Amino acid sequence: MIDIIDLILNTPFLQRALIAALLIAIIAATSGTFLVFRGLSFMTSGVAHAALGGAALGFFLQAIGLFPWFDPTLGAIVFAVLVAVITGYAGESGVAQKMEVAVGVSFALSMSIAVFLMYYIPPDKVLVLWGYLVGDILLMTNQDIVMLTITTILVAFIILLFKKEFVYVSVDYEGSLAHGLNARGYHYLILVISSIAIALATKAVGAILVYAILVAPAAASNETLKSVNKVMIGVFIIALVAQVIGIMTSFIVPVSPSAITGILAALSYIIALQIRKIREKVNEGIPEVIHQETTNIE
Amino acid sequence: MANDSGDDVPLVEARDLAVRYPNGELALYNVSFTIKAPSFTAVIGPNGSGKSTLMKTILGLIHPTRGTVSVMGYDVVRESKEIRKLVRYVPQRDHIELSIPMRVKDIVLMGRLLKKPAPRFASSMDKKAAKEALARVNMLELWDRPFPELSGGQRQRVLVARALASSGPLLILDEPLAGTDAESQKLIVNALSDYQKNNNVSVIMVTHDLNPIHVLVQNVLLLRNTLLGVGTPCDVMDTELIKQVYGPTAQIVEHSGHKYCITHDSGVDRHD
Ligand SMILES: Nc1ncnc2c1ncn2[C@@H]1O[C@H](COP(=O)(O)OP(=O)(O)OP(=O)(O)O)[C@@H](O)[C@H]1O
Ligand SMILES: [Mg+2]
Repeated sequence: MIDIIDLILNTPFLQRALIAALLIAIIAATSGTFLVFRGLSFMTSGVAHAALGGAALGFFLQAIGLFPWFDPTLGAIVFAVLVAVITGYAGESGVAQKMEVAVGVSFALSMSIAVFLMYYIPPDKVLVLWGYLVGDILLMTNQDIVMLTITTILVAFIILLFKKEFVYVSVDYEGSLAHGLNARGYHYLILVISSIAIALATKAVGAILVYAILVAPAAASNETLKSVNKVMIGVFIIALVAQVIGIMTSFIVPVSPSAITGILAALSYIIALQIRKIREKVNEGIPEVIHQETTNIE
Repeated sequence: MANDSGDDVPLVEARDLAVRYPNGELALYNVSFTIKAPSFTAVIGPNGSGKSTLMKTILGLIHPTRGTVSVMGYDVVRESKEIRKLVRYVPQRDHIELSIPMRVKDIVLMGRLLKKPAPRFASSMDKKAAKEALARVNMLELWDRPFPELSGGQRQRVLVARALASSGPLLILDEPLAGTDAESQKLIVNALSDYQKNNNVSVIMVTHDLNPIHVLVQNVLLLRNTLLGVGTPCDVMDTELIKQVYGPTAQIVEHSGHKYCITHDSGVDRHD
């Protein structure tokens, strides 16, 4: 135990990785949970890859000296938000298929832009660009941490503040609208802040890990837990544990922490499905009990 | 436009209403009617006849392609903000997303909290109203149960309770009787009619079956993408009209002073 603490205290990159794991677990618990509630989990991959395309454009414009102020991170955020808004617009009529198409098209377009521009970007920058795809939580810079911290605080604050509104919009969009809620505003608000968080998390740890951590734990918790708060806490714990185990394992065996985390996150979902199945079987056996357990009204 | 001088302002007034969806589907055309408050109105018609579309238009969720609709004097396009303070809405059951872990109490409180300013905390008054509403539809024991785990009929009753717990003089319910058994239907209908009479509110209810409510309703709108009939249940119990709406197999039978309407949708509807 002392050894581990000693190791952490003496290894700045490990400290950064652990902080990042904590921050990303918070993003998963807030954004990830509500994207799954909204049936938009697949948007995460579209947005993460859009960030890659946006960053590629940023590197390209800097490399040819056309818009030197166009920072790749800015490009990533702009592309991510754009994809989220297009997806949200396609989905406003309530047709999920249209959203899937919008995500699919944006995904293909961003990846094509990224791969196309890679030929015109200096090789050292291409490496950074690859980081957006298969990034490494152990390679984070201090600047990454600062930006990720700010975004995480912003996202967590907004989502906790408007939790009820987001829940209502997810449960009954038309009903919320009809009762006077600015449902459309909340619909876009969650898409935009989530996409900013996803873009910066992608820059920090790579699209694959972001996708695994934002989708699987939320889906797993939602299968098994029975209140919004419990789901959020469940997501936080699964995401954090999966990442910390990933980081720790990479110290013992030569393996990418993202890979371990991704596998653990996916595993959590499979386990959740099993728990649900077992529960359903148990409940089928004793239907009377369910009816009697909740008569505690004063 | 709106005035609160009271009784002359119609509850809902539609003039030459037409609604076309972006995909070109003309869901409603030539719809004109006036409903006075307080009243209990039923909207009937086969699947795809534009019933839900009409409700959504009244709520300002969809804009008319042609014509105008006003609710208590407020125009649904320009003054939907005002209208939304006045209405409570229960969408068709399949519009409620079941993948979110809500409890019965969360759903019922939603009707009240949506009408409150942020941060929308549930006061003891809110909880009391929610429990009273649930008791009206005989669902109080399920206060803490997960909503997605209820049966279809139970969910429907909870949604009606959500409307009863909320505030506003106009309740709009889209097929609250769908998928309910005779007992649930009776509960819902009785709860709604008691509430309507005692609280001076109006109800507009979409239904496929006039049977359980025909003694309560003052107005019936008979829709098949346009308004084919409007009036009291008696007026719309007309063989030609019913055939136009439900097809040639529909019939009305008179027997010992009562009219019975027989359609595939409603089974047999006795009418005095
Ligand atoms: N979002 C939409 N986009 C395009 N067309 C739609 C949309 N919603 C409804 N329609 C079409 O408008 C017509 C009326 O639909 P509506 O839902 O109002 O019918 P309804 O009377 O409520 O039917 P049901 O009894 O099945 O609920 C139908 O032909 C339907 O296909
Ligand atoms: Mg309908």
